[in-house]
Amino acid sequence: MALRELSSLEKFLGLKKPNKYSTQGDRKVPVLQSNSGPGLVGLVTIATQLTQEAKRPDLLGKSAEERAVVQQWLEYRVARLECCVKEDIKTILKDLNTYLEDKVYLAGNHITIADPLMYYGLHPVIMDLAVMDKEKYLNVTRWFDHMQHYPGVRHHLPPVVVLRNRVYTSGHH
Amino acid sequence: MRVSIPSLCGLSDFRGFSQVAVSNHTGRLVLVMTKEELKGASEEEQQAQSKKGLKKAQKEAEKAAKKAEKQAKLAAEQQSTDEDDFAKDRYGVSPMVQSQEKLDRVLVRVQQLTPERADQLIWVRARVHTSRAKGKQCFLVLRQQQFNVQALVAVGDRASKQMVKFAANINKESIVDVEAMVRKVDQKIESCSQQDVELHIERIFVISQAEPRLPLQLEDAVRPEGEGDEEGRATVNQDTRLDNRVIDLRTTTSQAIFRLQSGVCQLFRDTLTDKGFVEIQTPKIISAASEGGANVFTVSYFKTSAYLAQSPQLYKQMCICADFDKVFCVGPVFRAEDSNTHRHLTEFVGLDIEMAFNYHYHEVIDSITDTMVQIFKGLRDKFQTEIQTVNKQYPSEPFKFLEPTLRLEYTEGVAMLRAAGVEMGDEEDLSTPNEKLLGRLVKEKYDTDFYVLDKYPLAVRPFYTMPDPTDKVDLEKIKAYIDSFRYGAPPHAGGGIGLERVTMLYLGLHNVRQTSMFPRDPKRLTP
Repeated sequence: MALRELSSLEKFLGLKKPNKYSTQGDRKVPVLQSNSGPGLVGLVTIATQLTQEAKRPDLLGKSAEERAVVQQWLEYRVARLECCVKEDIKTILKDLNTYLEDKVYLAGNHITIADPLMYYGLHPVIMDLAVMDKEKYLNVTRWFDHMQHYPGVRHHLPPVVVLRNRVYTSGHH
Repeated sequence: MRVSIPSLCGLSDFRGFSQVAVSNHTGRLVLVMTKEELKGASEEEQQAQSKKGLKKAQKEAEKAAKKAEKQAKLAAEQQSTDEDDFAKDRYGVSPMVQSQEKLDRVLVRVQQLTPERADQLIWVRARVHTSRAKGKQCFLVLRQQQFNVQALVAVGDRASKQMVKFAANINKESIVDVEAMVRKVDQKIESCSQQDVELHIERIFVISQAEPRLPLQLEDAVRPEGEGDEEGRATVNQDTRLDNRVIDLRTTTSQAIFRLQSGVCQLFRDTLTDKGFVEIQTPKIISAASEGGANVFTVSYFKTSAYLAQSPQLYKQMCICADFDKVFCVGPVFRAEDSNTHRHLTEFVGLDIEMAFNYHYHEVIDSITDTMVQIFKGLRDKFQTEIQTVNKQYPSEPFKFLEPTLRLEYTEGVAMLRAAGVEMGDEEDLSTPNEKLLGRLVKEKYDTDFYVLDKYPLAVRPFYTMPDPTDKVDLEKIKAYIDSFRYGAPPHAGGGIGLERVTMLYLGLHNVRQTSMFPRDPKRLTP
């Protein structure tokens, strides 16, 4: 699954030549195979490398602070989303909802590599979310819908339906 | 009478017994000991016990002295209080009403205590909702169903100190007869339903006393859940309420809910009777399951067994075949479903309709939906007080409906669900979450809480559904009651709803047990 993600990422970045990937270990950690030396291991590492390759450093963050935030979200993706249980999902969504209350993108005022990667990571979660929960975590849904419509991001993933109007009034169980 | 009884078994020692006699009354052998013998018996034992005995005797003497002192004190108090109690015959616990006499006394309803009755001396019978003493006064709140009024006993020329004390000590929920003067108040009493008047009590008698410890407090039972959490005050959970249903039903909210439910029944009957329907009663002990054999209660019926009816369906239809044309029935329905949800009961009241139609079953749908709309209108117009009372404890939005009723086809419903991201097949039954979601979507799109979903796929309906002639689906075998159809049956259709669910959904409540007086579910068989 990570491999498809990486190929989508390549397309997003506008890389013409697809790279060769393989996986390693039980957790299927992706490995970028290179001609010279050992391959790059890890989603975050590979994503960063690809961004450099595509000569789009702005996607990693324009300022030092932004770069730090981007890295933070990439870490978040790998550390928390990959190995989360059902109970954690609620906490994750709640935290994300609070974070995204006043932000359009995860880091800064423009799209960074953190956005599509978090989108790929959250896709299975949001797909299964009930309409009521989608309304509860309104900011996450808004950001998610923005991401899935952003040119070049979605690719291999089916679109998740997001209703335009609120169906549940607040306070209903 | 002397008897020689060598054969007295079990007694080896006759010492100390002077005689053996036969009692005249019982014919039994009696061993007689004279007083002297008792006294003289074993002097050694007596001596040994004398010390202990002395001590014991001393202690008992002390105790007796103390008791006498206390009693003397009480008696003295009593005397003094009795002496000063000029109002002795204006209060007290009445003997139980056993129709000993016919009093020519008019009891005024609390609801009628308004400023128009100011300065009148009236009698009221109500429950003591609360009572608290404050120095020389005692404030009582007297409650009658949904209405309550403040009452006051003050030390003065009409009431004595003892009377005020008596009033303050009356247990909550006791029924009292009160003679009082109605007085207007300058400041509105916010906590009572009768806000403009107050009762000044002259006489108060307890007709029926309640136990001092109640299983639940009515104030807690009426408190809204949120308020309870915020202020840290108690609310009563549902199980406690249902276990002590009699007390829970006294709350203003419960009174309002069941009066409204009574209204639903009444409106149902009246609307249908006006449309020319006949009310029928169908048997509840039947020989075969009507909705599928899984959820049916079995009863033993002499040498065989029978079932409790899951619905009046088969009999309604047989009535149509018997030329009653338009029938309805209100009666219990028994479903042995082990569903422990907020909307399932094992026994509930079904409101059922069946009607013959001329050419299209939509004639029946129109009739049924019009009946429902009349019920909603009737509730909205005549039961506003009850709806507001319920909303105080369970806030909700007013019930909305369209006229004429909105009708959607099943395929439309499926399309709406798919547009919201739900994946389901065309012939698939609506699962409960999907059904609920569809309701929300319809509410959002059409602003109505009540709509009709037409043309369900046959595969998901019970065996008595008539298939759509345009659909090429095989008719299911309806052997069970086909006989009634062999001798000419008019085209007919009908439907049924649960009374408790209608009330629950109309009021925006969240559990059907709140609208069932003594609910039955897989885990509850009493009260």
